[in-house]
Amino acid sequence: MTRELTIIPELVRMFVKTKAEYPGAMILGWVSQFASYGAMYTAIALIIARFGTLGGWTWSEMALLLSFHLLSYSLGAAFSFTQFRDLEELVRMGRMDAILVKPIGPWVYMVFSGLNIGYAGHVVLAVGLMAWALTQVQIDWTPWMVLYLLATLIGAAMIVCAIMTMIGATALVWVRSRHLYSIFFGFWELARYPLNIFPGVLQILLLTLAPLGFMSYVPVAVALNKEVVLLGGWAASASLIAGPVAVLLAMMHWRFCLRNYQGAGG
Amino acid sequence: MRALAYTAFAANAFQARLAYRNQVWAGAFGDLVFMFARIAIWISVYTGASSHGGVTLPEMITYALLAGPVLYWDYSRLLNDVDTVVRTGDIAVYLLKPLHFPVYLLANHFGNFAFEFLAMTVPVALVVGLTFGLLPPADLFYALAFVAYWGLSFMMLFVLATLLGLAAFWLMTAQSLDWFFNSIMTLLSGGLLPLWFFPDWLAAIAGHLPFAWVSYYPAAVYLGKLDVIQTLIYFGIGLAWLSVLLGALVWLWSAARHRLVVQGG
Repeated sequence: MTRELTIIPELVRMFVKTKAEYPGAMILGWVSQFASYGAMYTAIALIIARFGTLGGWTWSEMALLLSFHLLSYSLGAAFSFTQFRDLEELVRMGRMDAILVKPIGPWVYMVFSGLNIGYAGHVVLAVGLMAWALTQVQIDWTPWMVLYLLATLIGAAMIVCAIMTMIGATALVWVRSRHLYSIFFGFWELARYPLNIFPGVLQILLLTLAPLGFMSYVPVAVALNKEVVLLGGWAASASLIAGPVAVLLAMMHWRFCLRNYQGAGG
Repeated sequence: MRALAYTAFAANAFQARLAYRNQVWAGAFGDLVFMFARIAIWISVYTGASSHGGVTLPEMITYALLAGPVLYWDYSRLLNDVDTVVRTGDIAVYLLKPLHFPVYLLANHFGNFAFEFLAMTVPVALVVGLTFGLLPPADLFYALAFVAYWGLSFMMLFVLATLLGLAAFWLMTAQSLDWFFNSIMTLLSGGLLPLWFFPDWLAAIAGHLPFAWVSYYPAAVYLGKLDVIQTLIYFGIGLAWLSVLLGALVWLWSAARHRLVVQGG
């Protein structure tokens, strides 16, 4: 355990160094992703400017929802997305075997040897938008509220990381799992809107099987004192346990897949 | 003979996609969820109003399908292909063959487009049609005009994406450009929000940039939102834009070939 803790900063340092070798490409990547999300949010702002509200949410409330969504996503995905997206390639090429025999947990190795600093553009946009939105919306600030928002933000990042891990781990058994990410991103796209605009089936899915409703909508609606669909008075407590529950499930799934890993040939 | 060879490339690309069935259902599912998100937005803003600025909810649902999955095909695959051949040096192999690389790309991605249209977009359209209902073209004229606009839209997106892809010859990567291009398209193609809901000044700008011919104009023509004269005039403007961009592509391609450095080996 101590050995793993000392090696983690080394793994991260190595990966950051490889990225920083191409500073132009790295900065261009940050700026382009910032622009891409900025354009999407501008389009949503134009819709609300034209129609007043979206599902009863004003633009400043929407801005808080969007920034919470983007911040929790980038925090969670930095630890998981590219690493586990490429896992099927490792399995197919047989390189996974080399990772499995390293004297370090394969999950820890994969996550930290690829810790993605490419999300800097996301974080800058999310923090900026959130700072503006927080000055515009009505929230009853108490120490509990601050703790609640921080806890649910970390919980939301845990959900993202847990689902990414589970999809990646599936490649250990199925060899291919990359296509499952397009399903993830489908729900991820839905999760940036207030859940009350969707039909009931989607609301149920987003709070159970694909729990991305907890990524942003539930915590932000609780903070804004809005009625939360399906959960009602349980929303606050449900959003606090959603992250840890997702992580537990992901750990079980990861172990199951590792046990059933057979390699994909020589 | 030449033309036949390019048709074979298109057919080949189509067949290659048949091998990856998991991608098909996952892609169709992704498109469907995406459509549900768009439709949910429109249903939500249309609550309590039958029309906004003369546009009804069924029209907006049809618009969302046309402007999204039908017209805005997956150009990232094209960018990725160009990026890969330039980065790995495989571009040299294409240059040795008796073919014109941009035309090869066109054939190949037409095959991909045809596949995605039949295997993903049509099923998604059926589900959306059965759940929410879709409108037919405004009348026969607009139906025919839409077909012409559709062809123009395909070529416009192809030329724009290929121009970006060729920038990889200078930048050695096209990934960031994909994000930049996507941000322009999100706002200015009318794919998410039709130009008739834009503030006037922004609609005036966006309506004269080539991106609007990818999603907005074809979908608006299908719904009969432009009168006959406008339909013809804007088709002409679109063609003019396309020829300018094609000229830029021809020029950039010749510049790129002379600049090519293949690394490794």
